[in-house]
Amino acid sequence: MDLSGKYYKAFTERQEAIKKQYSPAQAEKQHSKGKLTAWERLSLLFDNGSFEEIDAFVTPADQPVEFGKVERSFGDGVIVGHGKVNGRLIFAYAQDFTIMGGSLGIVHAKKISKIQEMALKMGSPIIALIDSGGARIQEGVASLSGYAGIFHNIIHSSGIIPQISVILGPAAGGAVYAPALTDFVFMVNHTSYMFVTGPNVVKEVLNEDVTSDGLGGAEVHARKSGVAQMIYDDEENTILALKKFLSYLPSNNVENPPVVIDDGSVSDVNEKLRDLVPDDPNKAYDVKDIINQIVDRNSFFETAELFGASLVTGFARLRGKTIGVVANQPKVLAGVLDIDSSTKGARFIRFCDAFNIPILTLEDVPGFLPGVDQEHAGIIRHGAKMLFAYAEATVPKITVILRKAYGGAFIVMNSKNLGGDFSFAWPSAEIAVMGPDGAVAILYRKELAASENPAELKKELVKKYRDKIANPFIADQLGYIDEVIDPATTRKKVISAFDALANKWVKVPARKHGNMPL
Amino acid sequence: MAQDNLNIRKLYALSSENKRFCFSLPLKHNIRIGKREYEVQLKSDEKYGTYILWKNRKYPVEIIRSRQNKYEILFNDISYTFTVETPFSIQRMKVLSTTKGKAEKELIVAPMPGKIIDVLVREGSVVTRGEPVAILEAMKMQNEILSPVNGTVVKVSAKANTNVMKNDLLVEIKL
Repeated sequence: MDLSGKYYKAFTERQEAIKKQYSPAQAEKQHSKGKLTAWERLSLLFDNGSFEEIDAFVTPADQPVEFGKVERSFGDGVIVGHGKVNGRLIFAYAQDFTIMGGSLGIVHAKKISKIQEMALKMGSPIIALIDSGGARIQEGVASLSGYAGIFHNIIHSSGIIPQISVILGPAAGGAVYAPALTDFVFMVNHTSYMFVTGPNVVKEVLNEDVTSDGLGGAEVHARKSGVAQMIYDDEENTILALKKFLSYLPSNNVENPPVVIDDGSVSDVNEKLRDLVPDDPNKAYDVKDIINQIVDRNSFFETAELFGASLVTGFARLRGKTIGVVANQPKVLAGVLDIDSSTKGARFIRFCDAFNIPILTLEDVPGFLPGVDQEHAGIIRHGAKMLFAYAEATVPKITVILRKAYGGAFIVMNSKNLGGDFSFAWPSAEIAVMGPDGAVAILYRKELAASENPAELKKELVKKYRDKIANPFIADQLGYIDEVIDPATTRKKVISAFDALANKWVKVPARKHGNMPL
Repeated sequence: MAQDNLNIRKLYALSSENKRFCFSLPLKHNIRIGKREYEVQLKSDEKYGTYILWKNRKYPVEIIRSRQNKYEILFNDISYTFTVETPFSIQRMKVLSTTKGKAEKELIVAPMPGKIIDVLVREGSVVTRGEPVAILEAMKMQNEILSPVNGTVVKVSAKANTNVMKNDLLVEIKL
């Protein structure tokens, strides 16, 4: 090619023009709001210089009817492309709030659809960096159909490639359903919002005063609604956490998760584990201390930390291999299963199953949360999700019963007959239909009523119940668990059990899909 | 295009009491606290685990928990919590502190029906995020009710040895 010719000149002019579009003034606008620009976000996410943009020069669609101004920008407010994150191929799109508020027109939508289809075809994860005012009003129905196309792609890629949304600004109206459909949602405190209708409409229709943060800020979605799983205080940490998070996941549903080289520095026998569960069954403890003592050092990455906190979920590594951890948290609401923790657990288990991540369950559960509130809100159908998810999962599944394993909750938490591959119990385990107090009150109701000293009799019966029934040894004799183990050897036992299950293969008969209770 | 990673030359460790320590990148053995510079080394070996070497003495250090840029460490048997911040995030905190608006209050309510065993704060107590304010017995377990925020207790409705219903007000905290 003649580099001084007119073709080359046109080429350089275009390059210059697009450089001007992403100007320092535009960056300043974002920075003053505590936000980064779309390009800064992408360069943080991708390995140095590895991001390749496509469709950089497309321009907005022509409007069928003239109404409102459309900025003739390059790229139509979204940057799409691919690159390497820690050496692995990742696709991404980043909406640019400085161009027409990152609003979604049909060209913008088509760019996103194109990259989604590429990611699916290549079997690579796709990251959405969302900072958008929503559908572009000027383009009307075309913009809405654009959203529909994006939703369709997300749904049809679900369970094939990991899809992660990072909310870095507003996501309002129909736009919220794109992140809602993806596997995990990251948000940033104070600068990102998600709501179906904004504070202004809420004020107009319901006369309720609420701020954007109070209605759909990161904290609200992480703690109350469960829409967002991971939140951080600033964008850099959000994106760095996302990079770490990606290191646990395989690229698609036929690959296994990446393996990190294990330096062998974590001992397989850990005597600290013997002292972490208090002797008094009414005393709480933090199950995360136990997780951290079992898995590779500092490898536990918790998901949905603030939502349904009576169940802890997250990814970790054992000898460098990714596992999913599901653990009851005695420190929060005694570790009960309630509506929030059941739905959280079920969704996490299904993600692990879809992406070949073995599941380790640590069980200390007093049961399902009783009460009018929970029953009326549907704990039955929400609790059923956990059952469904565990039984449906074909990845290796191991349970360690740390202490309480009572009633329906025992069944739900990956019990052997529900399809759990290995079931271990610590000597401190209490496995029974219900706790001692409840059982004694039912079985010895008449005797207790007739007794002269009911308190004394009850105490005696409770002790008898603990010795005779609520222990792990009967379940062990009957084969409902595989082995009662020394807590100190938990890591060793779990690693060798997962090794034994490495080639687990379950043939599932063809069907359209099961009908999980929703 | 703007492909360079954000050129970060400095990192700050921000303690839970808002004390700030600056480190320049790449990390060296010298750290500056106030006006004085100290030479310390972070080492680890089989025998002692991870420790800080200062003036030829070893001080054991252990990361108890880490969550992205938040760390809880044990140093000389005292636990410290701090966050690692960049110049940009420090700047951002300043921006947000001016736009956050007026201080609000936080109501801590009973998360489930149960019996209050103990109330751990009084009116005027200063609480930090994650600090227990009361102990609620429910599901035959003693649950610590934790403060989700930093602030000052302005009202205590919870009384020891009384039953509470779900969503009953326990403690009111002013941010």
